[in-house]
Amino acid sequence: MIAEEATFARLMAAAQKGDKTAYNVLLSETGMWLERYFRRRVPPHQLEDLVQDVLLALHAKRGTYDPARPFLPWLAAIARYRWVDHLRKVYKHESDMLEDDHAFEDSHEDVVEARVSLERLFVHLPKKQAEAIELVKIEGHSILEAAEKTGQSESSVKVNIHRGLKKLAALIERAE
Amino acid sequence: MMIAGLTDGLEPVRAFNPRDGFAMLGLASLAVVAIVHLTKGLWFDGLGGTATPFFWLANGLILVLGLAAAATIIHMASPWVGNRHETPVWASAMVGVLPITVLISALSHNSGVVDLTDEHALGCVTASIASAFGVGGALVLWLRRGAPVSPNLAGWFTGIAAGALGTVYYGVACPTDTMAHLGIWHIVPIIISAMVGRLVVPSLIRW
Repeated sequence: MIAEEATFARLMAAAQKGDKTAYNVLLSETGMWLERYFRRRVPPHQLEDLVQDVLLALHAKRGTYDPARPFLPWLAAIARYRWVDHLRKVYKHESDMLEDDHAFEDSHEDVVEARVSLERLFVHLPKKQAEAIELVKIEGHSILEAAEKTGQSESSVKVNIHRGLKKLAALIERAE
Repeated sequence: MMIAGLTDGLEPVRAFNPRDGFAMLGLASLAVVAIVHLTKGLWFDGLGGTATPFFWLANGLILVLGLAAAATIIHMASPWVGNRHETPVWASAMVGVLPITVLISALSHNSGVVDLTDEHALGCVTASIASAFGVGGALVLWLRRGAPVSPNLAGWFTGIAAGALGTVYYGVACPTDTMAHLGIWHIVPIIISAMVGRLVVPSLIRW
């Protein structure tokens, strides 16, 4: 079972003071939380790399956490930032099926987790932009395949990806 | 494996505190005002009471805009889902009333404000932008220490904050206190600074 908000916040505050035991637990728990967070929005073989990327970012930017505020919205902002960055970089032609895992929604997620989820970002995108990003950047289809599946032209798919990623980047803190 | 490595390398860090950002901004502001005083000399007569009411109104509104944008930038260093960064937008709209007022007055037949330019206009714009670099530099340093997740927005706001505060810091040395001068030529540096901020700052603060 993954730790809850209060536990995360306590561990992080201790880690900022140099408590290595607390930090070790925090990173392990955060790693599990992130796996669940990204699972439906990242192909399985990229999941571990992205989680490690966020853990490294957490380590580098741990001083920016304000102990007076909840931990998960801070972590989610960093996770979303690294995820959008990841989407920008990723371009693969192989098609990997995402895990059909609904653990995130089925678990006893609390209000905070629901508010910071990646789904909250996608609901703010126009349908065509969300489709293009999901097919090409997440599921790994080519531009041509995405164009055939959505009925858009190839140039429209490219434009929608570009505009969609720009919008996602602008929504990182706002979409809740 | 990676977790063990990160844990071994853990050092205590100073937790995010907005007061550190405001202190950095305060020091940069003092330095800019000191340079303005040494190079141009503060307008003590005006500050002492001879300035027009519009001098206080314009500089006061621009100061509020600068502080609102700077405070937003300081908080943007600590990311958080749920943060709202709308204050500088509304504050910009508020200050936008100044040039609109001047233009309406200029177009009015009953107004004394007709000539929108004056001999000090270009000098004021240049000096205000130069002052903005001091404030902007401090804000960029602060953001680089933090973890801003909206670099483009941070770029706009850094430019607005630097431009507005830089204009006010130079403005206390500017003896031209007409409505046309303040409403146009003390706003132009903010617009230029905002555009420069949007173009330059994001690449400096991405992480």
